[in-house]
Amino acid sequence: MSAGTRPIMQLSQRVYGEIVYWGTILAAIICMIGPFISMKNPDKNVMNPFYLFAAIFEGKDTATIWQEVAGGFPGGHFYLDKFFYGDGFTQFGLAMGCSVAAWALIPAAFIYLFKEKNPTYTILCLWVTLLIILSMVGIVSSH
Amino acid sequence: MSRMFRSPWLEVNIMLVVLIISFAGMYLVGRGLETPPGGMSGTAIFAWLLGFFLLSFGIALVAVIGGIGGGVLFTPFMLAFTSVDSLIVRATGLIVAMFSGLVSTGPFMRGGLANLRICVFCAAAYGIGAFSGAQGAIFVAQNLGEAGEGFVRLALGLILLSLAIYFIVGGKKIEWPEVKHVDKFTKWLKMSQPYYEVSVKRVIDYPLTRAGWVLIAIIGVGLLSGFFGLGAGWAIVPAQNVIMAVPLKVAAANSGVLLGMGDCIGVWPYLLMGAIIPVFAAPWLVGQVLGGLLGALILIKVKAGFVRYLLIGFMFFACFGLLTKGLKLLGVMGEVPMWLNGLVFLTICIIVTVLIVRYIKAEARLGGE
Repeated sequence: MSAGTRPIMQLSQRVYGEIVYWGTILAAIICMIGPFISMKNPDKNVMNPFYLFAAIFEGKDTATIWQEVAGGFPGGHFYLDKFFYGDGFTQFGLAMGCSVAAWALIPAAFIYLFKEKNPTYTILCLWVTLLIILSMVGIVSSH
Repeated sequence: MSRMFRSPWLEVNIMLVVLIISFAGMYLVGRGLETPPGGMSGTAIFAWLLGFFLLSFGIALVAVIGGIGGGVLFTPFMLAFTSVDSLIVRATGLIVAMFSGLVSTGPFMRGGLANLRICVFCAAAYGIGAFSGAQGAIFVAQNLGEAGEGFVRLALGLILLSLAIYFIVGGKKIEWPEVKHVDKFTKWLKMSQPYYEVSVKRVIDYPLTRAGWVLIAIIGVGLLSGFFGLGAGWAIVPAQNVIMAVPLKVAAANSGVLLGMGDCIGVWPYLLMGAIIPVFAAPWLVGQVLGGLLGALILIKVKAGFVRYLLIGFMFFACFGLLTKGLKLLGVMGEVPMWLNGLVFLTICIIVTVLIVRYIKAEARLGGE
């Protein structure tokens, strides 16, 4: 390869980049549609949108806000039960965006192992994926 | 085929269409909604959502031009000038920081400016720090009450002050660090990866060193980011550049990718305890993604170095707000009178204007030579 030729990026790197990029865009589109569903059907929300912003700007803490506006916090993965609710759908978009690195690191790990023959980075990719998944399911928590 | 129908314009256009339809729909629906007693009207909810989006979009654009992360602007501003609970602000700040990083990941990975091996290696440590930082933030919020809120604002104010000074001084950064000795561990990791450097029109390969030491620094950076809900590009870049000898441009690209990857770990404690409120966080997220993409496409070539002075001025003002609010919450001082806030703001405005005028004159002189 001459000094002037652009090097071709490794497949692992390209696959990781594409999955994260498109996953982020999809998450953003979901987060554009979610608030519209919230306003279209105010009754189909976990948190009543009419009272939500006032509670936030009054400086109330999270537990109080959820208690007053939703009758209690239903858990971070409440979108699984309330997928078609306005805020449930929005939370799904957030959850998707906040876990996109894990979904991209898994194929990258396999490419490192089978195509690029570099098991060190397979282990590192799987380690970071494991950290994201443990964090997602809430197994490791200090409170 | 027109370039508007090809990536990245295609996805930008799709997002713009969905956004416009969504906001037009919210406006029309909001006007027809009956407001319940004690509740906010539909039009007011629409206005808040639009306002959040526009603010986030603006932050993302300015961040692209000024080279300062969105999280560094969002979190101090919200903590200093609104009464929103600090945990909600920091959790949403983490969303702002991570999504501006996530959306830049694709182009950086495709072009080869960022290096996935360095990012994964650093993320293995950064994630632990960010996760612990987020847990610490939740602990402080749940156990220290108003004193905790005061402490957080005070500490963030001091960090922001040192950061603003650091941005003025410039810090120790080297565009092309020289490596005299590569240790065995770094050699074994095989992290360097050649890339095409547009400015010099040739392929650059770079040796790295001290990979073990960078892990310790990155854990500390992750802690800060997770606890305060700040993007930590300002710390990740020098950590890679000075310790590991990563070229400056590569370190900057890596920092975006690393923030996106590592904060996927740090953000979940906030999501699982309800500190990220979906309809509140969504417009901030959308603004970062769309603003980051459009900014990178349109504004990246705009030479507007003076924007940096504006941002630094803003940081000093936010710092004043944070310190005074923190001291007030700790019971050390009373409410700051309006005239004093105005005086500080005016003083900062005058200094920033003088600096910008000097900068523009210096640029014009250079252009004339």
